[in-house]
Amino acid sequence: MTNIVETYNLTKIYNKTIRAVDDISIEIQEGEIFGLLGPNGAGKTTTIHMLATITRPTSGSARVGGYDVLREPRKVRAITGYSAQEAGVDEYSSGREYLTLFGHYYHLDNRTIRSRVDELLELLELTDAADRLVATYSGGMRKRLEIGTALMHRPQLLVVDEPTLGLDIQTRVRIWDYIRALNKDGMSILLTTHYLEETDKLCDRVAIVDHGRVVALGTPDELKGEIHGDVVSLTLPVEEPDQHAQTIEKVRQLLSAQPFVKDVQPTAEALNIYVDQGGVAVPQILRLLEASGLTVGEIALARPSLDDVFLKYTGRKIREEKGKAVGARAAWIRRPR
Amino acid sequence: MLDGLWDTWYTLVRYLRTFVHNPFWMLILLIQPLVWLVLFTQLFQSITTLGFTSGSYVQFFAPGLIVMLAVFNANALAFRLLNDINYGVLVKMIATPVNRYSLIVGGLLYIAVTWVLQVFVVLIVSFLMGARVATGVGGVLMTFLIVSLLGIGLTGLVAAIAVTMKRPEPVVLIANLITLPLMFLSSILIPAYLTPQWIQDAMKFNPVNYAILAVRPMFLTGFDWTAIGQALVVCGVFALVAIFVETAAFRRFGG
Ligand SMILES: Nc1ncnc2c1ncn2[C@@H]1O[C@H](COP(=O)(O)OP(=O)(O)OP(=O)(O)O)[C@@H](O)[C@H]1O
Ligand SMILES: [Mg+2]
Repeated sequence: MTNIVETYNLTKIYNKTIRAVDDISIEIQEGEIFGLLGPNGAGKTTTIHMLATITRPTSGSARVGGYDVLREPRKVRAITGYSAQEAGVDEYSSGREYLTLFGHYYHLDNRTIRSRVDELLELLELTDAADRLVATYSGGMRKRLEIGTALMHRPQLLVVDEPTLGLDIQTRVRIWDYIRALNKDGMSILLTTHYLEETDKLCDRVAIVDHGRVVALGTPDELKGEIHGDVVSLTLPVEEPDQHAQTIEKVRQLLSAQPFVKDVQPTAEALNIYVDQGGVAVPQILRLLEASGLTVGEIALARPSLDDVFLKYTGRKIREEKGKAVGARAAWIRRPR
Repeated sequence: MLDGLWDTWYTLVRYLRTFVHNPFWMLILLIQPLVWLVLFTQLFQSITTLGFTSGSYVQFFAPGLIVMLAVFNANALAFRLLNDINYGVLVKMIATPVNRYSLIVGGLLYIAVTWVLQVFVVLIVSFLMGARVATGVGGVLMTFLIVSLLGIGLTGLVAAIAVTMKRPEPVVLIANLITLPLMFLSSILIPAYLTPQWIQDAMKFNPVNYAILAVRPMFLTGFDWTAIGQALVVCGVFALVAIFVETAAFRRFGG
């Protein structure tokens, strides 16, 4: 099996201080759906930009389809389709014109362009809006059009930054279906996401990135398998808001000291307690708390999810990081990357 | 090479298509030089009594306005680019195999086309107002050439600033800071000998002035080949430098 993407100590430092991507070495196999999962500012977009030859690495290197991104960028561009995080669409043209323009920029002939455009408009359910100005498109339509531009030349590698960011659940499911269908036809796919569900449903392998580094890598099941046992999630009722943090800390120390507890991680709204056997642990936890005169809000038992994997490696819960909405946005507010 | 030419063509077509979708913009674009022409000729009518020109002020000012339009259009491309940057369009284009020079030259040609259309309006209206081009069609074509080079230079520089800054506010400020002095430190509005010595010295470094010195005689008297030669060299070099600077800005764009 050959690799469609290989990075060697890939690093990007902005303004001499910000290590956006810090020494990432990964291999993505041909035919794989590979996910980069991480919170805001983890360096996902920067990584993708370096692979799509938009941004130059500060050090290290990367190959796409065997071509070096710095030495043979035009070859890389010809086999790569790049779809941006925030829908990059031209408000002054129609959807059809925009797709056609990309067909020309990929140097396809007119006949191919015409049939691809029709095919993609159909696939992305934009046929009815094809000749309307993009300015009248909704956020979801823009995102679909954006993905379309990356598919005009049937790339070997599709690079999608946050394919479903800010979309409603139906659209999201539909985009997952497209991505799966493209992958079935042999396209390798690299995507970034905030959504654990997306990685779980879609990706063959996932790299969890945090502060520009890969902190865990494997199939979703492998990653979940690294967390043995069960997770007990415990909330405490807020009685004295001032004292709440102290109470939580007290409970954390109390539980951490127990032999049956492997780890305790506080999150924004609960304490996650990692144990071998949830069924045995829950009554023990309840007894302990009662003995210390503490009341329990809610207690729940769960199998480990990617959420927990994420928490384990980054100390944060990914859902606390809110996704940014696509579509309508005030002009000039966004700092372009 | 052939790909590069097609890339340029499709880039130009994309820009021009905006006018098909927004005919109103086209209208404004064509009315704008008329407003200048009427306002300035009325405002400065009495200057002709100073006796520095044979014909009317229209005759003196029409070539000046034609050069001035190139200066005024200098930030038009910058704004299209800023829009493309803000909407994430430019970053997507950069990720395709499209020729970099084509993206730049296509944009510059678009500005040249809009400028040529404006010039036609000026020519027709000033003709109706009594002005004549002494050198006829040949002079008009030479004017197009010289002022296109000037326009490409100015537009390219402002575009390079836009691509580097990525925000409109500083671009507006810097563009005004550059273009307004370029206009005033030239003999577009009044002949050089009516200005103080230091302005006359400054004019020697101003490509806009070389353009007007070559273009105006073509309207008033006849071809001044020395002035035309100087203008072609100065504006030609200026255009090349601007394309080079803009290409460098594009290369740095993605970080
Ligand atoms: N052009 C730039 N100049 C300076 N710093 C930058 C630039 N682009 C990104 N950064 C910084 O690099 C880091 C990584 O940013 P990046 O956009 O790659 O993160 P991300 O994982 O895509 O985040 P998000 O989930 O919010 O899209 C951040 O700290 C960001 O502020
Ligand atoms: Mg991002």
